[in-house]
Amino acid sequence: MRRETQNVLLVLLGGALLKISFTGTYLRYVKPAHQWLLIIAGVVMLALATVAIARDLSTRRPPSPHPDEHHEPTPEELSVPPSSVVTGGRRPTHDHGHHHSARSAWLLVLPVLAVFLVAPPALGADSVQRAADTAPRPVAEEDGSALFPALPPDEILTLPLSEFSERAAWDSGNSLDGRAIRLTGFVVREGGAVYLARIAIGCCAADAYPVKVRLEGGDLARHPDDSWLQAVVELVPGSATRATDYVPAATVTSLHPVNEPEDPYEH
Amino acid sequence: MSTSAPPDGGAEGSAATTVAPGRRRITSLEVLCVLLVLALVGQTWLASVLDVPAVRTGATIFVAVCVQAIPFLVFGVLVSGAIAAFVSAEALRRVLPRRAALAVPVAGAAGVVLPNCECAAVPVARRLIQQDVPPSVALTFLLAAPAVNPIVLVATAVAFPGEPLMVLARFAGSMATALVMGWLWSRFGKGEWFATWAIRRVPTPADNRSRWGVFAETARQDLVDAGGFLVVGGLTAAVLNVVVPRSWIDTLGDQVVLGVVVMAVLAVLLALCSEADAFVAASLSALPLLPRLVFLVVGPAIDIKLFVLQAGTFGRAFALRFAPLTFVVALVCAVVVGAVVL
Repeated sequence: MRRETQNVLLVLLGGALLKISFTGTYLRYVKPAHQWLLIIAGVVMLALATVAIARDLSTRRPPSPHPDEHHEPTPEELSVPPSSVVTGGRRPTHDHGHHHSARSAWLLVLPVLAVFLVAPPALGADSVQRAADTAPRPVAEEDGSALFPALPPDEILTLPLSEFSERAAWDSGNSLDGRAIRLTGFVVREGGAVYLARIAIGCCAADAYPVKVRLEGGDLARHPDDSWLQAVVELVPGSATRATDYVPAATVTSLHPVNEPEDPYEH
Repeated sequence: MSTSAPPDGGAEGSAATTVAPGRRRITSLEVLCVLLVLALVGQTWLASVLDVPAVRTGATIFVAVCVQAIPFLVFGVLVSGAIAAFVSAEALRRVLPRRAALAVPVAGAAGVVLPNCECAAVPVARRLIQQDVPPSVALTFLLAAPAVNPIVLVATAVAFPGEPLMVLARFAGSMATALVMGWLWSRFGKGEWFATWAIRRVPTPADNRSRWGVFAETARQDLVDAGGFLVVGGLTAAVLNVVVPRSWIDTLGDQVVLGVVVMAVLAVLLALCSEADAFVAASLSALPLLPRLVFLVVGPAIDIKLFVLQAGTFGRAFALRFAPLTFVVALVCAVVVGAVVL
């Protein structure tokens, strides 16, 4: 692959990283803390490509150095360093590695096209069904009450789905019993049951694991899979056991559709 | 349509400068332009083809693996460029003990202090070899850096709140893997297994300005090379992530031996980032701790994405020997450490 093409690909890929980090799309793929990493990586890529392009342009037409380019300021720099760059950094890969590196670089087109044209959505019902019944992280095998601080006395308490299911499964203090809890998640149907689910990620979507609550009651038929709901529920005590793979059940008091949250995952 | 602007603008801008001189021949740049135009025209068709749940999930995971790994790869190529431009082979020789057997632990310790992702470590290791560092030392660094650095250990502690020994076991298992591989290489390794283009010496430039030139050019070249292989790894990981059902892990239950083997293979196939694999291991709660430790030790040492990256960086002859051996050594180290510590 030609050097120019490589540089164009780097510009595109750097641009793709910056695009997803500024539009917020990156939250579909990685955790929020990665935003700065993505911005820095995008800027570095653009810079490396720009420097290379500027160098190529200035070596191609040596008699007219541009005074406005900070990196190639003087004629003597143009005559010496670019040649040493070519012998030092490029020629080894050009002689033998060329053939080999040429082909792999084409693959950089794939993430560029994926980000700009397809923009894959956040993981949803499909990956929950795929994961089948993975139990929630066991916080403690025996007595879990000490690990869960008391809940605030709000009339309707908003909790992340993962905390709801962890408390339902492991909190021997039964802090959820009789409480009205507001949960946000998307609808998943599995084997006749309807679940409210959320994907939790540790770092990126590749390590996603689903968290879900089986919904009982409520008018669920008109909400298709992957539609986002905010539901006020009450835990069915003792429903998250080994027999149910620690998936709790909850009775629905009220529910209404909401938009997909900006950060679709829990962490 | 805002998405179409960058490809068009970027591609046409430099196409004008390259096509102009000389004879007419189809260049890769023109191929790229055609590819981008086709993709833009066929966008709706492309989107409809990909609108199958499994493909959508796979595409998300593919982008996620790439997006998550690229910043670390960029960091790696910058370090690699800096070594090529600013650290002379003589300086490295002075810092490292002369005997490889002693230098190997030094490289292991360097892995602890340099927070590095496995993708970043590959170009850095190659650069070290090019600067005359013994391959055994560079390879120890390659294996230690992603597995025993503080970020990974903290993530492990967070993922296993009730099991502080897991952190210790992971550290010991991964460090043992790196050291054993380094010593094995210094005893049995052969330089001819590396592809010649992979280890050719880059002369360190003498004056300051050309150093920056070498820095930028080396980093750029490494990024283009390794980036392509990272994409292969991301694709593979995405496909396997969708195809391999996690649920059959739960059926393993308490069968420790089978669990160890399956988790080791799974670590290779899933190709998770070393920062994140602890959370996955923690979520597989049906398994005893030992198979999960194997998962954490094997994963950062060798996985499908790393294998492709190593084959691309050091040559196929190297990767075909190094990767399977790493797998076995990591598996054994994890089991031994797990039996002692857990």
